[in-house]
Amino acid sequence: MTFKFNYEEVVRKPNPMVEINPLKRGKGRTVNLQDRVDKLNKNAAWKKTTKLWTAMNKTFDLTRFPQVSMEPLGALDIDEDIQRELDEKHCANRIANPAVFDPALLQPVICIKTSKGKFISIDAQHTVSTVAGLIDAGLVPGVTDWKEFKFPFMYIETNNLSYARKAFSILNGKGKKKQSQYQQLRNSVFVIRIDKDRSDEDDVKVEKLVAAAESHLCFPVEEDSTLLKHPGTFSNISTFKSLSINEIDTACGWHDKYFHYEGVHVSLFFIYRDLCREFGSAKIPLSGKLQEELAAMIQKLFGNLSQFQESVTEAHRRWHEKSYGYKGSWNDDAYACALVQLYQKFGGKEKVAPTLLDRFDNLIEFFDEDIMGLAD
Amino acid sequence: MYHLYLVTSVGGRAGFGIATDYRERNKQYASHSGDIVKFSYIYGGLRTHAKAIERTIKTQFSDNIWIVDDWKTEWLKDGVTMQDLKAYVDQLLNERSFYRLKVIAEDYDFKQGLIDPN
Repeated sequence: MTFKFNYEEVVRKPNPMVEINPLKRGKGRTVNLQDRVDKLNKNAAWKKTTKLWTAMNKTFDLTRFPQVSMEPLGALDIDEDIQRELDEKHCANRIANPAVFDPALLQPVICIKTSKGKFISIDAQHTVSTVAGLIDAGLVPGVTDWKEFKFPFMYIETNNLSYARKAFSILNGKGKKKQSQYQQLRNSVFVIRIDKDRSDEDDVKVEKLVAAAESHLCFPVEEDSTLLKHPGTFSNISTFKSLSINEIDTACGWHDKYFHYEGVHVSLFFIYRDLCREFGSAKIPLSGKLQEELAAMIQKLFGNLSQFQESVTEAHRRWHEKSYGYKGSWNDDAYACALVQLYQKFGGKEKVAPTLLDRFDNLIEFFDEDIMGLAD
Repeated sequence: MYHLYLVTSVGGRAGFGIATDYRERNKQYASHSGDIVKFSYIYGGLRTHAKAIERTIKTQFSDNIWIVDDWKTEWLKDGVTMQDLKAYVDQLLNERSFYRLKVIAEDYDFKQGLIDPN
């Protein structure tokens, strides 16, 4: 049986992402707060919220506005029922890491002030513990007693500990807009590209991954971004970051060569992670012919990787239920195994890593009949 | 065989969808709208290809979806015509010649029964 499919070229069009890629450079502009207020005033959700305030007779209570003052660290107590246990390693390895520590990056303590004048910490115990520890270790010139060292405190006056408990929850996740995976990636890239600061090896690695992807016209973008309609874009940052630079280079090279007209589906990263690792372990080259034939097969059977993902997920669901008698959860390892097994089923002759053939036994028999019928 | 259909609402709005049984789907449109609804074009072919094209239309027409009170409908907004939609699908099929999908019916409603795809 000869291999059934030939790859069909699709005319390449200029990719607008080359010019509008947000990671290429910063916007290079600063806006004032009025710009943000204007944006809010045009937003439907914001308009609804302000209407709701009016309907509820709710107003901004200025008496609840936090105070800010410089207070001695010795005045601060930590309620262990509110804050977490101290993570000493976090203080030692992250905050006080001599390669990155900079007092300018310290955040104020957020706390309550009771009617007895006690300050109880809500947030930043690791910061203040680190500062006190550094003073204690004699590493702050001119300061000998950390208890007298004045630090910025932001607080409201209350005796209500439930307020502190709720505030801790909000400040540490619940209710707070967290940085997305993309925003974190963007920060790392801009630290290298704009600030030219290569002191953090994580930032350096992330920028290299992004550069490897960009060299093949693949572009990370924010989840739900309108840019996702452009070819080569993807938003699954955590999977992207889990691959090595060589794996990203190979995966994105394949995407750009054969599917330059499509967005990057996340299954690409899982497939190439496993192809690179399993072929590498078996010392089998990932040949150009094999990669072209895989692309041809995806075109002809599924159209694109997005549809392959839908089909293999359904096949895996049926396979698991038939094999084990109950519904199992999806396993990302099945992408590459299914792809290589389909390749052989349709007459592919290139050498493949044996470890991708003996897992998920008979999985491909659970693909739709109209797919498998094409093998006959 | 699986189907991608381009539908025109009673008011003339363009929309699209996928179905195994296009006759039954057309009946459902009639039942909901209280009138005969036309599938301006029905494409037949491989299930995966019909779904892949539907997904591509959704992505590429994301700025042209008819949104009512923050609710994203499955119809296209005013000003985007059936001709625009048909031209886009045909362009996709021309540029990506590996898609096994072809027009099997035009101006269809369920009263016409099932169409011989050949």
